Amino acid sequence: MTTVAAGWVEEPLRPFVEETNVLFALLLHPSGQVLGQHGFTRAVDVMAACALAAGISASAGALGRELGGASFGELHHAGRDRQIFMADIPTRGDRYVLLAVFDRGSSLGLVQLYFRQFRERLVAAAPVTSTPAPALAADFEGELDRSLAALFGRAPRLDVGGRPPSPST
Amino acid sequence: MRSAFATVLEPLARQRGVLGCLVAGEEDGILVDAFVRDAVDGAALAALAAALHRRARLASGAAGLGGVSFVRLDADGGHLCVLGHNELVLAVFAQSGANVGVIRSTMLRSLEALA
Repeated sequence: MTTVAAGWVEEPLRPFVEETNVLFALLLHPSGQVLGQHGFTRAVDVMAACALAAGISASAGALGRELGGASFGELHHAGRDRQIFMADIPTRGDRYVLLAVFDRGSSLGLVQLYFRQFRERLVAAAPVTSTPAPALAADFEGELDRSLAALFGRAPRLDVGGRPPSPST
Repeated sequence: MRSAFATVLEPLARQRGVLGCLVAGEEDGILVDAFVRDAVDGAALAALAAALHRRARLASGAAGLGGVSFVRLDADGGHLCVLGHNELVLAVFAQSGANVGVIRSTMLRSLEALA
């Protein structure tokens, strides 16, 4: 099941998971804030995956800059039964990270193919304006709780800026 | 520089009506080598052709029909032919008027060259 915390994520994410047949997909902000997911059933799993993915993204970025002056765009790790694909998606407003987990029901080629479409759709749908956020926002825990609540049906979706809707709406 | 798969692909690319041909990994769908026109996205075709062959193999196995020897897809604008061997797939796409029989026999002759 695919759920999103930000409405603009749904249109790009849903066809990606349908076409690739991935087991899990997670779209997050590099700070660890989740924007959409597919395949997870427990909030605690999303929270852990987001934290780990954000850490991998930060490490890969730092390693890429150390070695070649630029961060790695895509990462792939092949396990015995399952594989991980992770990629950065810079948009006009902000940068996002996609984490996808797949098995033999899909393939790296398919995931890469449909990732390109997903990236184009996400860039077109993403909010243009971005407010530079600190590495760890002051209200990080509150934001995380709101994102997870929105994903698992306990709260309304966040608006395009990742904020909860105002009380008047 | 000629790749190790040039001897497989060149005879296919010379066939009348053939628009392109490629070798890809069946499991990962990653392009290994290709003769395709610039306008054709070889990586996308490799991923989709490998997925087509893999699904056909699974469907054939589920139906108790055994292994898949040859997959032919007829589309409005031409044909896509896929043949698998040793964890690789050989895919050829051709115009509607192409002689699929000749293409198929050329592909089968190329089988042994696929590592």
